[in-house]
Amino acid sequence: MDKLNCALTAVKNLRSNVRQCFEHLADGTDGEGVEESRNKFVHDFQEKFGAINSQLREVEQLINGLQVPPTAYSLGNTAYLAQETSQDRQALYPQLVNSYKWIDKVHDHSFLAFNNLNQNTLRRSYNYCSQKRPRLPFSSFNNDPDHIDKLLSEINTPPHTSYRVFRPFGSNAVAIVTISNVLKAAIVFKGVLIEWVTVKGYDEPLEQDDLWAESRYEVFRKVQEHAHSAMLHFFSPTLPDLAVKSYVTWLNSHIKLFLEPCKRCSKYIANGLPPTWRDLRTLEPFHEECRNC
Amino acid sequence: MGVTVLQPYPMPENKSGAHIIDYLSKRLLSLGATHAGQFLVDCETFISSPQPHNGTPGRAVHVLHNSEYPASTFSIMDSGTGKQVSLVADSIFDLLMLKMTNTFTSKKQTKIESRGARFEYGDFVIKLGSVTMMEHFKGILIEIEYKSCMILAYCWEMIREMLQGFLNINVGKDFPSYFAPQTIMTPMGQQQMHAKHNDMYEPTDTVKQYLEQFTNYRKHVSMHGGLGGQQQQPVHMSPSPVMGAAGGLGMIRP
Repeated sequence: MDKLNCALTAVKNLRSNVRQCFEHLADGTDGEGVEESRNKFVHDFQEKFGAINSQLREVEQLINGLQVPPTAYSLGNTAYLAQETSQDRQALYPQLVNSYKWIDKVHDHSFLAFNNLNQNTLRRSYNYCSQKRPRLPFSSFNNDPDHIDKLLSEINTPPHTSYRVFRPFGSNAVAIVTISNVLKAAIVFKGVLIEWVTVKGYDEPLEQDDLWAESRYEVFRKVQEHAHSAMLHFFSPTLPDLAVKSYVTWLNSHIKLFLEPCKRCSKYIANGLPPTWRDLRTLEPFHEECRNC
Repeated sequence: MGVTVLQPYPMPENKSGAHIIDYLSKRLLSLGATHAGQFLVDCETFISSPQPHNGTPGRAVHVLHNSEYPASTFSIMDSGTGKQVSLVADSIFDLLMLKMTNTFTSKKQTKIESRGARFEYGDFVIKLGSVTMMEHFKGILIEIEYKSCMILAYCWEMIREMLQGFLNINVGKDFPSYFAPQTIMTPMGQQQMHAKHNDMYEPTDTVKQYLEQFTNYRKHVSMHGGLGGQQQQPVHMSPSPVMGAAGGLGMIRP
């Protein structure tokens, strides 16, 4: 084993010397036709060349001194690599390429996500807001209970929508909105801020003690997803009343959930779902797939 | 449970029922629907014995089962004057009918059923049913249900687009004949037009639609003399004048 080590070190030295020699050659002389530097260059080269020669001999000697090992070396798991010589049958290469690609992708995505999260304007923590405007009074989450009742009654509701407000969590209100015979939504308030929205079908139960279960219908699960993103969009701790009003107006646009075709593709069904997305400003219906293209 | 529409599939002359079912299943599967079990809707009709002393004609009671509601038995009594009384009972109702053989006799030869595969696509449930009467193939009846909507007027366009999509036939813009406006008597005794497509949908509506279609298939048989000779007394199976006039293929307009 020692001999093998020596031989490997010698090979390594040889390689590094050869590399140095070539680097020296590539650098060339510094002056233009200065006799001294030329001589020095040639001398250096000869020295290095001599060193290479002697090392080459040394390597040869060492290699000659090597013996065939009596028993196979124990190489751990890597020994199995030699068992199957055909590369195709090992199928290692494609796997390696795949994992490399995955790692690359994970890296890319985490980088993008990191950037996005850093500049996220949808952060909903109050501390975050208070850092920016330390002296602003937070009427938005510390409110008298009557205010939300008044706010909801002020909202210009279409006749087909009904509100039922109750307070299962102390002073914070929960409003159950029934939009025509189409859907029911439970809006959970914290003060005047909207904390959570659950959307369910008209025939599904939506009661005080079961506000969090998802709808059994795919379409309402999708609408709930969109309702959450709209909730973040309309979130505004400085103008909470306006935020609630615009959100409820947006939610009311779902009255024609099954009635209106998508504005872009003019079809009713895409992937088994009606147009579930309502534009945040124009309230026009779109399929989830159509809204971004 | 949601709005359900029944659509008879027009049978081409030179193709077998199994062939069309196969073709439609393939279209559904390639659309992205998943196969979700089997279904069966059957209908048996009982006739009351006529009572000659007061001249009441024989009444028909249709007893239907729907595999979607396995614990229930649906029965629809048809007085023959276009008025229907429907009743939803537990499945033990079948045994009750057997006890009443003195008054109601079963017309075995008109036992009709629709069975086949059930598919799910998003919130849609699609059933491809082959209608058989006494083991004879009668036609294909497509049932499509949109589970998340309760009112036909809201989602008819969606259902229509879906039907046209996978059936590859033209489906008329009007509501299906079952949902056509009907004249009803208000509790005050006035006649009023009632638009059924704005009502909340109920499981009995599905069953009534099946009865309407089954009645059409049976009529077709008696018109062509298939079992006509065995009918002994006049049976009023047409549920209402509107439905009778609209006919079986009322939904497909040229």
